[in-house]
Amino acid sequence: MFRLAYKSVKHNPKRLLLTAAAVALGVALVATTLTLTNALSSGFNTLFSDIYGGTDVIVEEVPQETADDTGSDMFAASDSLFTDDDIAAIEAVDGVAAAYGGIQVTGAVLAKDYEPSGDLMSAGGAPSQIFNWSGEPDVDRATLEEGSAPTADDEIVLDIDSAPTLGYEIGDTVSVATDTGVEEFTLVGLVRFGDSNSLQGATLAYVTESAAQTLMDTDGYQQIAVVVDDGADSEKVAEAISEVIPDGTRAITGEAKAAESAAELDDILQYIDIFAIAFALIALFVGSYIIINTFRIIVTQRTREFGLMRAIGVTGRQLRSMILLEAVVIAAVSATIGIILGYLAALGMAAVVEAFSGEIFGTVTLPLDAVLWSYALGALVTLVSALMPAIHASTISPMEALREAATESKKPLKMRNIVGGGIALLGVVSIVVGLYTDVASPYWYVGIGAMALVIGVTLLAAQVLVPLAFGLRDLLTRMFKIDGKLAANNIHREPRRSANTAAALMIGVMLLALVSTFTESLKSVVTSQFTQIEAQFFVLSTQGEIPEGAITLLADQDGVDFVTTTAVTSVMYDGTAESIAVVQQDLADLAYDYDNDPDFDELDGGVFIDPTIQDLGVEVGDEVTLEGDAGEATLTVTGTYNTEGDSAFWIDESTASELFSEVPIYQAMVVLDEGVDVDQAQTDLTEALAADYPLVLLQQPGDLAEFANSFIDLILGVISAMLGAALLIAILGVANTLLLSVTERTREIGLLRAVGVRKSSIWRMITIEAMVMAIFGTILGMLLGVGLGAALVRALEEFGFTTIAIPWVWLAVYTVGAAIAGVVAAIWPAWQASRMDILKAIATDG
Amino acid sequence: MTTTALAATMRGGYKDYGFGDTAVRALDGINVDIAGHEFTAIMGPSGSGKSTLLHTLAGLDRLTAGESSIADIVITSLPEAKVTEVRRDHIGFVFQSFNLIPSLSAKENITLPLDISGKPVDKEWFEEIIGILGLGDRLTHLPAELSGGQQQRVAVARALVARPEIIFADEPSGNLDSRSGSELLGFMRRAVKEFGQTIVMVTHDPSAAAYADRILFLEDGQIVDEMREPTADKVLDRMKQMGH
Repeated sequence: MFRLAYKSVKHNPKRLLLTAAAVALGVALVATTLTLTNALSSGFNTLFSDIYGGTDVIVEEVPQETADDTGSDMFAASDSLFTDDDIAAIEAVDGVAAAYGGIQVTGAVLAKDYEPSGDLMSAGGAPSQIFNWSGEPDVDRATLEEGSAPTADDEIVLDIDSAPTLGYEIGDTVSVATDTGVEEFTLVGLVRFGDSNSLQGATLAYVTESAAQTLMDTDGYQQIAVVVDDGADSEKVAEAISEVIPDGTRAITGEAKAAESAAELDDILQYIDIFAIAFALIALFVGSYIIINTFRIIVTQRTREFGLMRAIGVTGRQLRSMILLEAVVIAAVSATIGIILGYLAALGMAAVVEAFSGEIFGTVTLPLDAVLWSYALGALVTLVSALMPAIHASTISPMEALREAATESKKPLKMRNIVGGGIALLGVVSIVVGLYTDVASPYWYVGIGAMALVIGVTLLAAQVLVPLAFGLRDLLTRMFKIDGKLAANNIHREPRRSANTAAALMIGVMLLALVSTFTESLKSVVTSQFTQIEAQFFVLSTQGEIPEGAITLLADQDGVDFVTTTAVTSVMYDGTAESIAVVQQDLADLAYDYDNDPDFDELDGGVFIDPTIQDLGVEVGDEVTLEGDAGEATLTVTGTYNTEGDSAFWIDESTASELFSEVPIYQAMVVLDEGVDVDQAQTDLTEALAADYPLVLLQQPGDLAEFANSFIDLILGVISAMLGAALLIAILGVANTLLLSVTERTREIGLLRAVGVRKSSIWRMITIEAMVMAIFGTILGMLLGVGLGAALVRALEEFGFTTIAIPWVWLAVYTVGAAIAGVVAAIWPAWQASRMDILKAIATDG
Repeated sequence: MTTTALAATMRGGYKDYGFGDTAVRALDGINVDIAGHEFTAIMGPSGSGKSTLLHTLAGLDRLTAGESSIADIVITSLPEAKVTEVRRDHIGFVFQSFNLIPSLSAKENITLPLDISGKPVDKEWFEEIIGILGLGDRLTHLPAELSGGQQQRVAVARALVARPEIIFADEPSGNLDSRSGSELLGFMRRAVKEFGQTIVMVTHDPSAAAYADRILFLEDGQIVDEMREPTADKVLDRMKQMGH
């Protein structure tokens, strides 16, 4: 059986070529992503072992998993926790050779020619990591390459790659922007980080301990690095140290810390893998339509052959196994090609990315899981798709060998319609349940519902497409004469085949339309949020937190009416960490039209709650108890904040001072005096900030909306690109179906040519057929996609989605794209059809 | 209807298939004139080249050497696109089987040549043809819903509808039972007699050839004999001489 299957594949490579290409494309998507994330993971593993691996024991704050991670990332500096006494206590522990206090400075090393500008993208440049220099290589993780270490408080060293990038040479004055202003240092040396200085694009700098403490306004340390005695067990020493350090801190070995960080990162990368596999599944799902079509057509074309085999004693089971074996052969070959393509694509993309942003990948190798996933997905989709045609083949009677012509079975579509309608209905119900009712994991309901809807619509499409294509027949005949009529007939002739082909494209377009409807609505939300503003400027800092000094400075400038700030931090409520915003109650609503009830000037020392807290049953007039780092307060709920996703609680500044020692300001708005020219004010205020706060920017609401929208467009672009594979496969599907149909219609085309139809006419006929299928698929996809997108937006109303925006421009682009895709998809089959030898065509035995 | 005396001609027609050792000469110096308004049959044993002669005369295939023309148009020197036009405008075809486009109705199949060239259908002529061929109640049917004989009659109607200079028929009755076959051949003969149509038919069936005015006998790519006013018996005798 295997030999037969193999030979069948070998002798008909052309008809399987596009099918294999479809599988290979889907597989390549998986292989590329898994290879890239693997390389990224190994790159960061190296980084983490460079950072932590050399240090024997690290004493640090116990990592917190808070509900709100505003402004914190894995490199962020935390508050100072340790004193000189702690260091002395640690040094007294058995096995400890030395302990070094570490301080990380929040700030940025500015390029030599840094000019503050309103441009958000170029502001601040690459992130900076500024530490105190200990002189102990295992603690500093860096070695001096040139010059000397910083000894005076106005001396600094930079890493060997960043210094030339930023334009500095030893002896130059280096500017560092911090929360309190710009500090100047003299560059005295260059250091190499780890072995290869691979910093993933960041700038590394060291100053003296006292300089670092002055900059951070502290006399303590955030972290303590411990060197153990020769021969001492780091783990044992870490345990011993744990006994002497303050609550809320921990001692961990460098190796364990590196592993922990790597594991955290791998968790994030895993999401990227899942994301990619999801898109690959979509692509392969689309591909499965093609595989089903191919096998169905092949089985039809080989009906006589199968009948003959049955007549000479081959069992139906054997026939079925043979076809499934063919599927396995195709899966194996195309998955292998896909893996190779994917690996090459990953190599290429890694090279491109590294050319722009430095070495962030480790060695790009093909990971085992990429290979396993690729083969598993390839085999799964091919086998499942071939199953129905294989079962059909096994039921072919020996009598078929004697029949005259092979045509696809003309089973009525009734069953298909009932099943399709049922599945589509279930899909809609499931989506509605997921979106509008309060069920656990609604995503599953929506996801599975969407899948069912797609399959249902595919099945129904056979019935929809037939009358529609037939309705178009007159129009096409009028437009393209006989070519149009024949094209319409051909679509109508094999409704299942045409429906599957169009549906493959439908899925891709549906997802595109869904995503673009969603993002378009998101953009309109963003735009409206930025237009609900009375203020002329948003104040932003590339450091995240806005220095208080900058606020005061702005408020003092001519032409500025007032500046109002919003500070954000987290608070404990009922045992969970929630985010809390601190507003200036008299000014906030003058600057921005908040979605609150009533305005913040009626806070009255109480608290406003957002929908997540309202959902817990808390109402206006109730009391809530909040706990911050400085104390606890029981507050009356005096109002509501009605958009979910911003902050759970809203309080005023005097309440905040009871709860917190300090609340970082993340947002501020500037309101100008009446009649002041906005553009001129932006220039003047930026200039005023330049000297001490070069990283603080002013943005006009419109510009900021545009900036935010350009981010949304970027995300849309990424998703579209990921869907590109699915769309490409769908186009291959159109080409594939037509190619197989052309082979099937050899005699017919020969006859047309004999009675005087020109080659160009044949070409046109195939092209019209492709275009009609492509446009049908696209329109169905757009209807479904916009519908689902609108449902999704509707379901997210609580998050501030007030309007459903239909992306008309994109829909037009997709339609034109579909028409072009149809023309392109028709090229190969049309070429095959038009160059067909007339004599051979009319002589073909059938 | 043109009054050209010669509907088709071939002078010094040679056709070789393949190259070198495997080359086969299918036509070996053919000179033939097909007179207008006549029913000509081409007969010969398998491999005699009769189908090749029909294909090259009709512009479906090209001669290796020599010249052929349809309605005074020399097609051997024309590019493919022009030959296609000649087929469209001057020739009708009836093949042994698979004559019809499965997705078009009988009526649409009949008017196909006119649709292709964008010419209007001559209603009267159309009605006359389908009347004679007895297709009046079958016009809306798809080919799959017609019997073999009906399908071939639709093919004949299609060949006639554009009033071509010449109709080429390749074993038109080959797949039919004898009654349907003789009916069909009877129609073709009527087309020649009553409407002055020119028909060239390839057949190996002596009783089919007997419907013709003139029979050309082909052997090894050459015309070896010709017969006028044939009967089935005369043809059978002649074929026996040729080794049948």
